[in-house]
Amino acid sequence: MTTEPPDPRVDELRRQLRSLGYLDVGVDRFLLGSARQQGRPLSLAIRASLRVGLLGGVLLGPAAALGVGARLPGLISGVRDALVIAVYLALLFFVAVTVASFALSALGALALRGRADSPRLERLSRAAGFALTLASVTYLTLWWRNANAGFGWSAPAWTSFALLVAVAISLLLGHAQRITTLAVLAVAAGPAASLPAITNRSWRGILAGGALAFAGAAALLVSTATAELPNAVDHPPLTVVGRGRALRVIAIDGFDPAMFDAFAGIAPSTIVATRYTLEPQDTSDPARAWTTVATGEPPEVHGVRGIETRRVAGVQGALAAGGSAVRQAAGAATDLIRLTRPSIASREERRSKTAWEVAEDAGLRTAVVNWWATWPAPPGPGIVITDRGVLRLEHGGMLDAEIAPADLYPALQQQWTAIRQRARDAAAGAVTRVSDPAAADVLRRSAELDTTILEILAAIPGPSRDLDVIYLPGLDIAQHALLSTSATGASSPSAVSTRLAALREYYAFLHAALAPLVTPSPRLDILVVMQPGRVGTPAPGLLATYESAPQFYPPTRSRDAGTMHVEDIAPTILAGLGIPLSRELSGQPRALLFIQKRYVDTYGRPFVAATPRTGKPLDQEMIDRLRSLGYVK
Amino acid sequence: MSALPPFFADYQALVAQQLQRIVPDRGSHVERAMAYTALAPSKQVRAVLVMLCAELCRGQASRAVPAAAAIELVHAASLILDDLPSMDDAPLRRGRPANHRQFGEATAILAAFGLLNLAYAEIARAYEPALASRMSALVSDAVGPEGLIGGQALDLEATDHAIGFEMLERIHRGKTGALFVAAATCGALTAGAAAEPIGALAAYAKNLGLAFQIIDDLLDVAGTTADTGKAVRADARKTTFVSFSGIDGARQLAAELCETADRALAPFGRKADRLRELSAFVAARRL
Repeated sequence: MTTEPPDPRVDELRRQLRSLGYLDVGVDRFLLGSARQQGRPLSLAIRASLRVGLLGGVLLGPAAALGVGARLPGLISGVRDALVIAVYLALLFFVAVTVASFALSALGALALRGRADSPRLERLSRAAGFALTLASVTYLTLWWRNANAGFGWSAPAWTSFALLVAVAISLLLGHAQRITTLAVLAVAAGPAASLPAITNRSWRGILAGGALAFAGAAALLVSTATAELPNAVDHPPLTVVGRGRALRVIAIDGFDPAMFDAFAGIAPSTIVATRYTLEPQDTSDPARAWTTVATGEPPEVHGVRGIETRRVAGVQGALAAGGSAVRQAAGAATDLIRLTRPSIASREERRSKTAWEVAEDAGLRTAVVNWWATWPAPPGPGIVITDRGVLRLEHGGMLDAEIAPADLYPALQQQWTAIRQRARDAAAGAVTRVSDPAAADVLRRSAELDTTILEILAAIPGPSRDLDVIYLPGLDIAQHALLSTSATGASSPSAVSTRLAALREYYAFLHAALAPLVTPSPRLDILVVMQPGRVGTPAPGLLATYESAPQFYPPTRSRDAGTMHVEDIAPTILAGLGIPLSRELSGQPRALLFIQKRYVDTYGRPFVAATPRTGKPLDQEMIDRLRSLGYVK
Repeated sequence: MSALPPFFADYQALVAQQLQRIVPDRGSHVERAMAYTALAPSKQVRAVLVMLCAELCRGQASRAVPAAAAIELVHAASLILDDLPSMDDAPLRRGRPANHRQFGEATAILAAFGLLNLAYAEIARAYEPALASRMSALVSDAVGPEGLIGGQALDLEATDHAIGFEMLERIHRGKTGALFVAAATCGALTAGAAAEPIGALAAYAKNLGLAFQIIDDLLDVAGTTADTGKAVRADARKTTFVSFSGIDGARQLAAELCETADRALAPFGRKADRLRELSAFVAARRL
């Protein structure tokens, strides 16, 4: 049996028929359909490139949304966010691919230089297609590396699938670019040009690849948005080997370590057992710095990078803002066109569990009051008075996840008037010896806030808890208002001295206010974490443990036990509660040296599903409050 | 010669009834000449294409009948003109003497113009103004310098001259493809179809039209008068597809064009099976 050799005349006719619009009804028509009547290469290139860009946007947008979601924690908080971000990125890639496609077509036309023979057209169009394929596959591979780092999809099957999808997308775009370039070159070369053949058979595979790419990217997108829900329980059991002792953590912002000795400890009525100097770090952004304390992870891991964030229009999640001047300018610009709006760091940006969340997972009773980036409060069993809690109690109305559990809100509301009155009284007493009225106002406001927070902690009803955590911002607010560059710019030395004296009065107030909280008790351990607040240069902080059980805290010759990292604080808290430590933690416990360390592989990821919210959000009120306190500009 | 698909008969009957109604046959010489060609037995492929496309786009075949008749009238007019001594000088058409052989050249010319006018009148009377206007423009394009007239003019120029493939395609596109595309588009328009299905049907008709013409070239080379109903080897002075690719190559290309036409129907799914049968019929027309 013999097979007749193909007739070259038929091949040539087939090629010419394709160049005349026969024998093809696929994507070529999609790419060049609107450009069919265009007589000039430029207009044809523009119209065809727009369609290549459309393909690029549809295929790359969902894939890029995955990568962005992994790199910018908190931005995507659900399927809806993922879809909106995918649409934004699809628009971005539409523009980028359109420009790239047009540039490649134009470069090809320039490279013709009057030589319009068929092999040359073929080479140029293939080169343009190859360039776009290469750019696309490079981008998608880098995207996969980043997305993989965020989600742990390191299994070979996942990686193989992802690369298959990336290759399919890239081939499709490359082929589309080749067709477009060829059409532009054909028009540029004029009617006498001899066009190379475009094999029709390859389209089946390429179209199948394109469909696979789209389905793959969409499936990954949806699975990513929903895969985070079960992570809340994605950790091994945390068996507590406790000592029957509770732990109280008091965080004081704006504390100068030099003042510690000047006041002989924050509470001289007790004995400081051990004191660690915290390694200097940038504490200029309190949300970032105190989330590091709470999670034991650096900002690049825990994800809260700044107090100011940007919310993208149509998306519940947020983007970190601030930082460099360029980012600030970009944020201002996007605010101006209403693409973004300013917002405050929230729990949704956080990628690591706080010490109290781990303690809850271990079955311990916890309460946290006024810590940064705790809103919206999760619907778990732990008590959380978020950083918006005081604001909600002031404004009243329905809860918007400022306090959890929700039934705590009416109980606190009942006591709110009394709490405020006691806070006002205490604040009035704090400034009796301050002569400067402006400084007195500042101190009164700070003292009122700190006292309110302390009173709220005291007012929480119910059984005693295993872990109480409280954050006091008053000292930092006072220090910032009295001593920041803007406050002291043109002041005389005597005025500065007056303000320093006023600030010392605040230390005295705090000393008295905290005394009840740091009184030793046989069933209570106390950690006080002090950081220097919004100062211009990195400065050390302090961690003080208060002696109440000598058999627990080893006696030290010197009260100063050396230095430790800020990331060590959370592991120290967890170890003190008898909770096994995660091997993923960056820090190690330092204060409780004799406790045997136990480990688990992971604590899992924080619960990021949307918290049920019914009340009016206090977004703008929160911004106004923080602006009035000097936190945001 | 391969048999027409069975469903053709119903559509042909509808068109034939319409043509009987509108083509005058009151005894005058020119009217008899018009009826002689317009009412002669024929496959009416273009008219059936109109109705199939209308139905595919969820329209009614009955609503498409006037458009189908109009397309058939245009085609009949083109045949009369094509056969004239000043053109192809063909003696036979549809198994009978050509119109000018039966009624004289002058009457044949008048009959052709009469049929052409009748086509536009049929569209104008049967459809609402906007649709009639759009369809008239379509038919006008298919008849004009970019269509039948342009193709025929080029064909005359090319007679006894060697021409390139591109020129041959332009001739065929004008003489055959343009009316096929107009037929498919008019059918879809009567159903109120959107741009996308119209585009797909136009791609189908474009590929099918060229395949139809290639098969005609093949029939002229290797067919018989009994098969075709017209004089064969009439194109000996012309360059045809067969000149470029040989008989087997032309047959292969015609089959590929029909396959391409079928691929254009992919968005319609199984609903387009009758159009697929039509393309299969075109591809299978045997010598």
